[in-house]
Amino acid sequence: MKYIEKLHEIVGKNRVSTSSPELYCYSCDASQIKGMPDYVVRPDSTEQVSKIVQFANKHKIPVTSRGAGTGLAGGAVPISGGIVLDLSSMNRILDVDIENLQVAVEPGVVHAKLNEKLKYHGFFFPPDPGSSAMCTIGGLIANNGSGMRSVKYGTSSRYALDLEVVMADGTVINTGSKTLKTVAGYNLTGLMVGSEGTLGIITKAVLKVAPLPKARTVILASFENPELAGEGVVKTLSSGIVPSACEILDKTAIEALNAFDPNLNLPDVGAILMFEVDGTGGAVEEGAKLIESSCSSLATNVKSASTKQESEELWRARRLVGAAISRLDPNRTRVYVGEDVGVPIKEIPKMLKKVREISEEFNIPIMTYGHIGDGNLHTGMAIDVLDDSQWDSLNKAGDKIHRTAIELGGTVSAEHGIGGARSKYMELELGPALDVMLNIKNALDPNNILNPGKLGV
Amino acid sequence: MTESEDKSDSYLRSILKCVRCGTCRSVCPVFDELGWESSGARGRMLIAHALSQGMDVDSDVLNSLNTCTTCGLCEQNCPSGAKPPDVIEDTRRQLVLKNKMTDKQAELRENVTKYGNPLAETSDRYSWLGQESADIKSHAEYVFFVGCLESYRYPEVAKTTFDILKKFDVTLLPNEHCCGSPLIRTGFEADDVTEENVEQIRKIGAHTVITGCAGCYTTFKNDYPDEFNVKHVSEFLADHIDELDLNPLDITVTYHDPCHIGRKHGIYEAPRKVIKAICNLKEMNSIRESARCCGGGGGVLSGYPELSHSIAETRMAEVPEGVDYVVTSCPMCRRNLSRGNKNIPVIDLVELVALAIK
Ligand SMILES: Cc1cc2nc3c(=O)[nH]c(=O)nc-3n(C[C@H](O)[C@H](O)[C@H](O)COP(=O)(O)OP(=O)(O)OC[C@H]3O[C@@H](n4cnc5c(N)ncnc54)[C@H](O)[C@@H]3O)c2cc1C
Ligand code: SF4
Ligand code: SF4
Repeated sequence: MKYIEKLHEIVGKNRVSTSSPELYCYSCDASQIKGMPDYVVRPDSTEQVSKIVQFANKHKIPVTSRGAGTGLAGGAVPISGGIVLDLSSMNRILDVDIENLQVAVEPGVVHAKLNEKLKYHGFFFPPDPGSSAMCTIGGLIANNGSGMRSVKYGTSSRYALDLEVVMADGTVINTGSKTLKTVAGYNLTGLMVGSEGTLGIITKAVLKVAPLPKARTVILASFENPELAGEGVVKTLSSGIVPSACEILDKTAIEALNAFDPNLNLPDVGAILMFEVDGTGGAVEEGAKLIESSCSSLATNVKSASTKQESEELWRARRLVGAAISRLDPNRTRVYVGEDVGVPIKEIPKMLKKVREISEEFNIPIMTYGHIGDGNLHTGMAIDVLDDSQWDSLNKAGDKIHRTAIELGGTVSAEHGIGGARSKYMELELGPALDVMLNIKNALDPNNILNPGKLGV
Repeated sequence: MTESEDKSDSYLRSILKCVRCGTCRSVCPVFDELGWESSGARGRMLIAHALSQGMDVDSDVLNSLNTCTTCGLCEQNCPSGAKPPDVIEDTRRQLVLKNKMTDKQAELRENVTKYGNPLAETSDRYSWLGQESADIKSHAEYVFFVGCLESYRYPEVAKTTFDILKKFDVTLLPNEHCCGSPLIRTGFEADDVTEENVEQIRKIGAHTVITGCAGCYTTFKNDYPDEFNVKHVSEFLADHIDELDLNPLDITVTYHDPCHIGRKHGIYEAPRKVIKAICNLKEMNSIRESARCCGGGGGVLSGYPELSHSIAETRMAEVPEGVDYVVTSCPMCRRNLSRGNKNIPVIDLVELVALAIK
């Protein structure tokens, strides 16, 4: 039987495509990694996923899982061809079990849709990526994604209680338990979270949820330059406050936000720190005051957002600032390279200074923004994509940013993932731990069919 | 750089403005129904790029490009400032120049060329006018441009509109042709029909063209010479609301914003002002800039009626409880929304006004 016939038999004809324009649409995500699949399959159930993987394993066909393809590291790009499994139509919210503080979802559920549903119950799923409106829970877990509120609420791994996973031979396992804690066996849930589809395919997730805070407030602190803002972060966090968000925006990021939504009217300064504190009314007020006093000696101005609507608009715009720098110049487009380094908090000012030097060295404007409260710095470069020399500078600058982060004891990716874009840095960052990863990969996927070429394995 | 190189560079740049972030997945009504990447704005941008790099044109390429309703939701939400509907129309145009088109597109062109309307109607456009053809004046300040759908599918709306408008200095074109929208949206040149209309408007000496169709409106605004003002009927009614002698009605309606006057040209307040002068307005779930599309535009209703139908169903599911009518101000939206749910009557704003005048 031909491969295509077998795929038709498993999922039905209208869930498989081999048409060239369709394949082309699945040959990339939001990164610069490219690779053409041979088949795109959109399964509808765990059983179908399991059968596809079993079949692919038998014939050694690569299988790359894909959620919404919003990844910034090429994780969902089939660089060795084969099958792309588009899991975004497995998008049912299976159970909202508030009494047990959890929900059960299929992997294709869109992040924002889940939180819309949970809001009714006064709860939320805290990891808060900028791509909330479009990314899937499966992709988020597979990348161990997080976002603006991770400084207080942590990353996806903190919320995954149990995952249903289709392993490379088609076996379906559950990695955890419905309980909020378990120590039974190796932490397979932890292993799967962040494995980028290289060890198994997540077909269901049981996630812990948190109550929505009673109050939230946004505090904006203006600084003359990003380095001073970086010092502001170190000072604020070390004074014992745990804000629910702590974001940095440099001058360019501020301009991009004002271009995206002119109503925001952000001040024209060298850098802004956007803090959020949440909790009960009293705690929020106190937190806001503490932040104000710890920033006051470094900042030129500190103020709180006056209304809830103003805060919400600020966050909405902030979520998409990365892409919004494309708006500043009609001839430039944002390119995601070297965009997600993380450094220890104390090294933030140094990293910011290095980024400025790299920008000067390669003569390429670099915007900085990001979840600075956990040391996660996003760097944004926008180039004329028709100019080869600008591509060259961009790639060199990206490479240097990655290496600098590692030198400072940091990481090449704090949340977006390694995928195909950052595989080459794994040995440098992980050392002998990479061999352990390779052993795990070999043990669980001996034929190397699951998302080959990613994550350094 | 030659002019054509410059043009092709700017076309390529308009495609490459897309950073593939996928935000449009969350809003594209077609993607929402079909779920394949090629059915969303990001996919269409990728396909436009592949074509510019020499990819062959096959029926899947045409289906991807032609299933876009040009609703503009993607553009509205695109953080990067890309304009997928423009890119898609440009790409359709380039394919048509190479004679690559679907049978439906060819049929549409044939109909407009042969009959002066996309519906292949051979009867008189103004048959609704009856005895009142004497009301057509040779000179006037305003021209009421009726449009094909109103002329042939909703003659009673055409008549009611003209009855209201003719109290002002409004006339009709003696020999109205299709405005060209169906041709332009699907990639064809429409200079022949637009020129016929423009000539007549010039002769009449009108400073303003009034139309009740969102498709005609956007076409007059964007694709006609910048010689006269364009007003949507809802705007004209809102401007003259005190002169209409409206009796309030004890009913509740909801309003569907047509993409091509709403998102495209910001006409949100005028229809609402007219409605609120008559009855209660209970808004739909998504309105104004974020209003979901009816599914009929961009040639989708004629080319892909089933897809268009399911988009209309999704839109009609947003109609709030307890409304007597869904009101809209475009015959295309009205037509398609009526297909989306047969239990809730969909009417034109002008018909609501007529109820309040009686
Ligand atoms: C504008 C923008 C802002 C962003 N902001 C953030 C941010 O703040 N924080 C953040 O963490 N990320 C952010 N991202 C990156 C990206 O959106 C996230 O990593 C997101 O979680 C990916 O989800 P997805 O559904 O698009 O996954 P995809 O890109 O489709 O896939 C990502 C990875 O997960 C794997 N995968 C997908 N589904 C499964 C599954 N069911 N089982 C196993 N493996 C699977 C894929 O193989 C791939 O390796 C942003 C991206 C954009 C474009
Ligand atoms: S929202 Fe804009 S930049 Fe993002 S994928 Fe869609 S068209 Fe491209
Ligand atoms: S214009 Fe509307 S239908 Fe077309 S791609 Fe954009 S969102 Fe989709």
